[in-house]
Amino acid sequence: MTRFRRQFTFGSLALIAASVAALWLNGKFNALPDYAFLTGWALLAGMFVLTIYNVRKKLPFLPLGKSETWLQIHIFLGFFTTLLFLIHLNFRLPHGWFEIALAWLFVLVSGSGFVGLFFSRILPRRLATRGGEVIFEKIPALRHVLKAEAETLSLGTDAKSPVIAEFYTKRLAPFFSGPKNSWLHFVESRRPVSALLAELEDLRRFATDDERQRIERLAAIVRQKDGLDYHRALQLALKLWLFVHIPLTYGLLIFTALHIVLVFGFSGGAR
Amino acid sequence: MSEQLPSPDFDAHNYARPNQNWICGHACEGNACRQGPDAKGRCRATAECKPVQKTKPGETKGRWHCTRPGGECESGPLPDGSCCRPIAKCSPVPTLRVWRGRATLAVIAASCAVLLLLLGNPPWRNNFISPGIVSDSHSGATFAARAETNHLNQNCGACHVAGDSGPNPMIHAALHADPGILDLKKLANAKPAEPTAIDESCLKCHAGRNFHQTDAPPISCSFCHAEHQGRMMAATTDASCNFCHGDAAKMAHNSVGDEVTSLKSKQSQSLLTSAPTKSEIHHFADDHPQFRFITEKLRDPDTLKFNHTLHLTGPTIPNLPGGEKLDCMFCHQPDAAGAFMKPVAFEKNCRVCHSLQFDPETPQLMLPHGNVDFVSAYLRSLPKQYLNLAATENLADANGFVEKKLAGLRSQFGTGEDLERRVFFSTATFGPEAQIGTLSGATRSLFPGCAYCHEIKTAASGLPQITKPVMPERWLVKAKFSHAKHLNIACAQCHDAVHSKDTADILLPAKETCAACHSPHGGVANTCAECHTYHQPQFVAK
Repeated sequence: MTRFRRQFTFGSLALIAASVAALWLNGKFNALPDYAFLTGWALLAGMFVLTIYNVRKKLPFLPLGKSETWLQIHIFLGFFTTLLFLIHLNFRLPHGWFEIALAWLFVLVSGSGFVGLFFSRILPRRLATRGGEVIFEKIPALRHVLKAEAETLSLGTDAKSPVIAEFYTKRLAPFFSGPKNSWLHFVESRRPVSALLAELEDLRRFATDDERQRIERLAAIVRQKDGLDYHRALQLALKLWLFVHIPLTYGLLIFTALHIVLVFGFSGGAR
Repeated sequence: MSEQLPSPDFDAHNYARPNQNWICGHACEGNACRQGPDAKGRCRATAECKPVQKTKPGETKGRWHCTRPGGECESGPLPDGSCCRPIAKCSPVPTLRVWRGRATLAVIAASCAVLLLLLGNPPWRNNFISPGIVSDSHSGATFAARAETNHLNQNCGACHVAGDSGPNPMIHAALHADPGILDLKKLANAKPAEPTAIDESCLKCHAGRNFHQTDAPPISCSFCHAEHQGRMMAATTDASCNFCHGDAAKMAHNSVGDEVTSLKSKQSQSLLTSAPTKSEIHHFADDHPQFRFITEKLRDPDTLKFNHTLHLTGPTIPNLPGGEKLDCMFCHQPDAAGAFMKPVAFEKNCRVCHSLQFDPETPQLMLPHGNVDFVSAYLRSLPKQYLNLAATENLADANGFVEKKLAGLRSQFGTGEDLERRVFFSTATFGPEAQIGTLSGATRSLFPGCAYCHEIKTAASGLPQITKPVMPERWLVKAKFSHAKHLNIACAQCHDAVHSKDTADILLPAKETCAACHSPHGGVANTCAECHTYHQPQFVAK
């Protein structure tokens, strides 16, 4: 059994056990007068542990355990905290503007986390099927190299084919000008690049031998550029979900702090 | 150590520095400088070299020398010692980490700004932090007027100390809450339904907690009445009632049953409450006790003699003057609210058939009803009554008419005392038997004697004494009921009057009859509060 599988199995069993225990305790102690306070504190504790994972990543020099272990805890605790959230709400929809906003923040943070988990499990496999490993930050440079080569092949001093030059100007230059077809790559559609390659193939049929070699090389470059775009689209998705997850986490913490003040300030005890 | 070595294809020249906040502006062209931007995103490129000044022996100023890697350039340094080949500065590009950090700061700033804006404006604050719509009872113009009368705050502050204050008092109230913010032990051990400080706010308008039982433990108002649930206060659920009635230990100390039993001999109404509830009750259809008049086989103590079966199905019952057949609704009319039935009255409901006509030949004369003395006086003034009748009908020989009538009565009943005795005590009918409540008679049924319907006793003075009929307006007085809500049900479906020949029959439905509809299976509301009221009626707002 691999370490990942071992962690997954252990984590899943722990999550199931904790969830069953939480639901059982909920059924048993739901009638307690201050039950919502208790589930609220449990939820806050879960949110605290989830949040300090980000702090842990910023402090790699401290001996706080492996980041991989922290990530596993973050994932499984994220699921459990979502259950705690539902228990805290007593499985009902919230009322009032503030509580609705707070609930939406939690839903967005946890929902983006689930999306991120899904992406991190699915997208790397898809990336592995389209070429080797490409560092996201190097993609612009690699794209520039391909663009320069295609430009040289089409418009260079030794390029004497007006047909290829025109085709490059009209069709390939926009294609190489930047990342293209991100959404289509995300949904695994290759229709644009297939269309472009088909046009190149049409061009090749009536070309001279020299032109044919250049067109075949251009087709290869187009495929590489498309592969780069594919990597960029998927790797961007792997990074962009954090733009929702992390910023809204801090918003959630701010709203949670106010929530605590309000519930204690307005509760029966404080009157 | 081997893990820390760079991979074989590591290109130190094009090192991307993905963890840094800024990347070289030329990186997208594959020409990132080796130095890279500084921490604040400024390009650090200057020139291809940094010339050094060398002063040979005998020279005073010295000369600048090129230090370019790979060999000196042709032009060499400029006279001021700067490199002649400056590198064009780039515009460093922030990495995704920087954008993410900016997004985080923006969300934090937006959250703080929104909260400060909303909390700083009292009307917005109250709407924003309210966990739900306040009921109409505790908001709006009526509540505002009442709050003014009672010198209360008209907003959240009417109930919550922190309700109409700014952020600082809110925090102060939160920090001084009881149980405290971190007092988890007290939070975990809080007793259910225990009154809290917020109940004091309720008592400013509501005069005390009048519980349905004097020795009931004090219960927090909010345990049953949840606010912020909508424009109508949330209906009290069975869970609130089950706090006591679902708890065997609490019910074991209940004294309600004893109290009702002690009233048994005083009021017939009290006989007809539910059975003493020392047992647990959770739901009406499941474990609510059977009504007490059934379990204890109680009888209606009313002394009036009435036969429902005869009046509803008897072949001798005549049609009403309008030709309609006598039915339940003729005697049992709903009150103005439609909830309960008006009391049955002789003049309105009985006299139409039972006219108290004592002389078969003179239907114009009828005995008064309701007072023994009046009846006795009327009988003793019969000559005068007949004389008045003769005058009214303009009879030529009035005295002869009176004599003839009195002679007829004497021949039928004997003396006046005999007639009076018979009127009060006889259950036999006057006149032809067939005329008593039959369809064959052209007139209404004749008067058979007070004892036909009433219990007649002889007082110590020898005068007749009629036991006053007791017809309670309500039977199950501990429960709410409205006939108006049950108009789609035939009377006989709940009240088995067709088979009741005796007044003592209590024609109320058994619990099962109610539960046929008022149960989860029946689909009609079946909560405790559907029939019962927790508070005494005097628990009203000041």
